[in-house]
Parts: sequence; C-alpha cells; structure tokens
Amino acid sequence: MQKRIDDTLIAYLDGELDADERRLVEEWLQSDPAAQERMAGLAATASLVRSAYDDVLNEPVPERLIAAARGATAGGAEIVPFKAKAKPGIGVARRWLGLPAAAALAGLLVGGGAGYYGGGFLGGSPQKAIETVADNNWLDNAAGDYKLLVSAGDTAMIDVPATGDTREALQKISQTLPQVRLPNLKPWGLNFHGARLVVLQGRPAAQLVYTTDNKAIGPLGLIIGSSKQPDLQPTFGRRQDVNLLYWRHQGRSYVLAGQTDIGYLWGIANDVAWQLDAI
Amino acid sequence: MVSARFSDQLVALLPRLRRFARGLSGSAAEADDLVQAACERALAREHQFQEGTRFDSWMFRIVQTIWIDQIRARDVRKEEGEIAEERQGSDEPVRRVEARLALAEVRRAVEHLPPDQRATLMLVTVDGLSYKEAAEVAQVPVGTIMSRLARARAALQLQLGAGAGLRGSAKDAEAH
Repeated sequence: MQKRIDDTLIAYLDGELDADERRLVEEWLQSDPAAQERMAGLAATASLVRSAYDDVLNEPVPERLIAAARGATAGGAEIVPFKAKAKPGIGVARRWLGLPAAAALAGLLVGGGAGYYGGGFLGGSPQKAIETVADNNWLDNAAGDYKLLVSAGDTAMIDVPATGDTREALQKISQTLPQVRLPNLKPWGLNFHGARLVVLQGRPAAQLVYTTDNKAIGPLGLIIGSSKQPDLQPTFGRRQDVNLLYWRHQGRSYVLAGQTDIGYLWGIANDVAWQLDAI
Repeated sequence: MVSARFSDQLVALLPRLRRFARGLSGSAAEADDLVQAACERALAREHQFQEGTRFDSWMFRIVQTIWIDQIRARDVRKEEGEIAEERQGSDEPVRRVEARLALAEVRRAVEHLPPDQRATLMLVTVDGLSYKEAAEVAQVPVGTIMSRLARARAALQLQLGAGAGLRGSAKDAEAH
C-alpha cells in the first residue's frame, strides 16, 4: 500500500498523471498533512539529485569529445577554454570558440565564465555575429520584459499558467502566434512556468517563462515572435544587467533572456534551436 | 560520410550526455570515455537512427548500452572493491573537503544505487525524460521504470536522511 502511495506521489511529481489523476492527488494532499510531508521529502530529494549534476552542463566540453562527435580524432583530453582563440579555417566546431571571445572583446558580455561552446548552429565570422547596438531598442524591450517578470515575482505577470499541463498552455499561445511549440528545458533543470503575451518589434510575441530552484540559473525567459527581417545568427547582448542571446530564422525572432552565465544560455539556446528546428 | 546535421545534433547533446554518463559512472574521466565511445558508435550507426524519433533518447540508449557492456565485462565485485580502495587512497584530502558539500554527498549516494536504478534516476529525475521515453531507452516496461524510480528515491531518502516523512515509505520500498 505504502509503495503504491509513493508511486503515485512520484508520478505526480514527474508530471506523469493525467488531469483527473492530478486533481485527485491535489485534493488528497490538501487534506492529508502526512502526505504533504512525504511529498515535500520526495520533491526535495529530486531537486537535490538534479542540482548535484547540473554543474556538468556548465563545464567546458573536452575537445576530444567534440572531435569524436564530428567524426574526427583528437589527441588527449584537452579542455576547451572559455576564451580560447580560434585559428582560422579549422572547422565548424572551432567557430564556436571565436564568437564568445570576440563578443567579450566588444564589451557585450559580462560575467561569462566557462561554458559550453561545443558547436552547433553558428556559421560565418564572429564579426558578423556581433550586431551593433544601434537601433536595437527592441533588445532593451526584451530585457525590460524579463526584468518586469522577475520583479513582479512568481505568477503575477503570467497570462497563461502552465497548470501542470503544458499542452493546454501551448494551445492558448498558439492562438496568438500560430505553430509555436513549447521547448522542453527540463533536461537543463528548468520547468515551464507559464507564458506571457508581449510585443516585440511591433508584433505579438510569446514570452515563455521557465523557472528553477537554482537562483543562479533561473528564471529564464524565451521570447518567440515573428519578423520580416533577414535571418541573423545567434548573437550575445547585454541590456539592463540582463544577458540576452538572440537570433532570427525564417521569419521568426528568438530572444533568450536571463541573468545566468552566458555559457549556460548558449547551451540552452542551442537546444531550443534544435527542438524548434530554428537553425 | 557523416552528415553535418547529424554531427551538429550530437555536438549539441554532448553536455547532457556527459551529465548522464557522469551519473552512471560516478567519475568524470570514465564518463567522458563513455561519451566518446558512444559518439563513435553513433556515427558508425547513423543509418540506424530513425528520423522523427528522439535523437537524445537514441543516444542515451547507446551510452547506457556501452556502460552495461562495460560493467558486465568486468568482474563487478572485484572491480568495485578496487575502485573504492583506489579512491580512498589517492583522493583522501579532496574527499574530506568534498564530504562537507551536500551535493557531493548526493552524488555519492547515487553512486551507491544499483546500476538499473541509477540509470533510471538519471534519465527521469535529472534529464527529464517521461516514463515512456525512459522505458524505451532502457528497453523495459513502464512499470519497471516506476518501480526502479521508487526504490531509487527511497534509498536516497535513507542515505541522505532528508524528509522524515519518507522514512517509512523508504523501508517499505526496500522490502519490495
């Protein structure tokens, strides 16, 4: 019996119950302090386990692994440093190294630290990737949207709460911005918290909000809007003490905003781009 | 010839693969060796990946398969004993410092879980896979995933001593 109860609580925590089952568990929790305590213990353990391994995501990826993933060979287990200078013409993987270094030189980055720059959706020269600050008011707006969200706290600014069923939130968002899909960032320790409808560059956009218990990482905002401007490769920016990573792809704008390490943002942006086919 | 898209996906996934492998092996060096072997195997078997299915699940399965192959190939009891001795002997000063850190304690507690529970915990609790996805990676029924998770969490609860309310259930779970 006890095992069955634990199975139910764990499935609830893991988001594996349907809406009816969730409602039943929530009613039960409200009326049973022992169950609440048990649930709190389970949640605390799960959170501890996630935190125990989160640092791995922020570690630089050894070059030998990047080489292995590219089907190349590399000697030893050399670690890719944050500000390593890329030599010209040494392949796609190395182009990732150039951008953060160049961006840092341009004064666009603050508090970078070591991060993941393994490879992915970047192409072209670092210089092209750094957009000038001129006529970038919309980036200030994106940073402002993020700060507004943080200062408002918890759910005050949320238009569409997650309510445990991300599909429901997704449907509501999609009415405003067709075909927006919801990136799953749980592997990064981020849970979908809800969405806001905002305006980006004069057009309606969805700001997806992700939260985590780890204050060093979250909350995180991902704005997805439409755009008539040409594609832009992922570019770092910093406005109003908010780190931004933004790009455009096939008529859609993406802005990832947060106060976390830029390397962490970079890894998440790469994952988002893959999930949404936004590369 | 490996496609650029395939390689790009693989590179993008490396941080998560490293995290998963770290949880399985308990050692940074062994984890990276595991990931490297998985990358090489994936590239060799690119044609076996089915478009439209989850690439991350496919890679997790490769990592887990290689890891299981490795621990099966060893004399597990002997190997674990040797590793434990080596670690205590060579890393004692570091270990003493780490022992003060709660997260290091958690990692050690995870290392003490049986391999199948450890893998399930990493897939679901750390990497956020659904039970169905984890079941596909581990190639076991969903019910087995649930059972492994419950046992793993109960065992962790006991080892970490958190959440007094769980202690009863942990004992129960162990008994199953």
